[in-house]
Amino acid sequence: MKLLKSIVLLVLFAITILFSAPKFPEQNNSRVVDNAGLFNAYQRIDLEKRLAAHETNTSNQVVVVTLNSLEGYDIADYGYQLGRHWGIGQKDKNNGVLLIVAPNERKVRIEVGYGLEGVLPDATANSIIQYEILPFFKTGNYYDGVNSGIKSILEAIKGEYKPASSDNKDLPMGLLLFPLLFIALMFIGAISNAQGSKKRIVPAVVSGGIAGVVSWMMFFILGLSVFLTIAVFLLTLLGSSSSGNGSNYYSSGSDSSSSDFGGFSGGGFSGGGGSFGGGGASGSW
Amino acid sequence: MKIAGIIGGILLLIIALVILPRINNVPKLDENVNMYASQLDNQYKRRSDLIPNLVATVKGYASHEKDVLTQVTEARAKVGQMTLTPEVLNNPEAFKAYQNAQDGLSSALSRLMMVTENYPELKANENFLNLQAQLEGTENRIAVARKDYIEAVKEYNLELRTVPGKWVAALLYPEAKTKQNFTATAAESATPKVSF
Repeated sequence: MKLLKSIVLLVLFAITILFSAPKFPEQNNSRVVDNAGLFNAYQRIDLEKRLAAHETNTSNQVVVVTLNSLEGYDIADYGYQLGRHWGIGQKDKNNGVLLIVAPNERKVRIEVGYGLEGVLPDATANSIIQYEILPFFKTGNYYDGVNSGIKSILEAIKGEYKPASSDNKDLPMGLLLFPLLFIALMFIGAISNAQGSKKRIVPAVVSGGIAGVVSWMMFFILGLSVFLTIAVFLLTLLGSSSSGNGSNYYSSGSDSSSSDFGGFSGGGFSGGGGSFGGGGASGSW
Repeated sequence: MKIAGIIGGILLLIIALVILPRINNVPKLDENVNMYASQLDNQYKRRSDLIPNLVATVKGYASHEKDVLTQVTEARAKVGQMTLTPEVLNNPEAFKAYQNAQDGLSSALSRLMMVTENYPELKANENFLNLQAQLEGTENRIAVARKDYIEAVKEYNLELRTVPGKWVAALLYPEAKTKQNFTATAAESATPKVSF
């Protein structure tokens, strides 16, 4: 028993070592995360304002982060994981950029999201670091370095994307079909109640089938459709005749399904969910 | 009679609840692995596309470093013949050969970059600096793509080896086999970093 326990612990330990991720700072929807305290309040607000304006115009998300410690990670390794963790950039465009400064390790990195690798290739990122950022950093002038680096980055990426237009796309099919399904099931439930419990097998098959087909059209998930088919079939078949109009179980079904559409969210820091693949460049001074 | 039916229905429901949501997991994870494999292959290709330019530039300044330059060119030729197709992923030998070829190119490249340290004029060449930045970025992307691939294969193999997934696979996807993963070689733990 003790042996088993120690083996389990050992395996867990090995897994954490193999797939460990660094501890990331909180972003709190801010575009300037100054953990190392390199900027004063005025500088931070100024940077923040410019980055926010850029996002409004182009939907690109650029975030400056300063770190006290890279926790022993290579800055490139840390950078892309941080970018993915925070989900910088719009999900469908992956248009995020991180400017990471680690003053204690004397390392700086521009981490470029997948969608901006074309306009901000590694060579460009590298020359921005070498010629725009490092000359200032070498004299300890962090704000000026970040400032001129950000200016060049924004200049490079500004033409790539337009902000998402405000008019919404058509309602998803499922949203329209759902009320139809609901009404159809109510109708069939009422018929089955009127006919008495012995003749439920036909309405059960019909309503089960409808539920399956419609949910298939809505979600294209085989498991869910089959499950709904069986569930509606059984519920219609076995539903007790005393339960009035039989609409109570359908309405509970509607609750669980409608949660699938609950994913709309917003916020000052729009979108998120962009991904990174290790593009960009690093430098040290 | 009715009670038996109800119990049967509940049992069916429970089985459906456990199994049905996972019924597509094996092909989904399989596709996932294929996607990450081709992403990784892309990044390796991108590295190999950088090499002719790099070799030409280095030759201009360090033409008598023939050994290293030939090694790189040869390693690239070897890599050029291989692609990380789904068949390779299921074939331990082919996978190993692929990994070895790429590792060979990695070490040849790191030797080349080490040699360039001795040529200050080369290191001041704008073109070379650009190539160096691109190569560094590409090596970095390879590392990321490799990590993603390893994660995807881990997920796929776990699905095939643990219980509900194992049953589903035995019933519906008997041809599914666990996939090959990268082993962290000694060469990898001492990552050939392109240093400035």
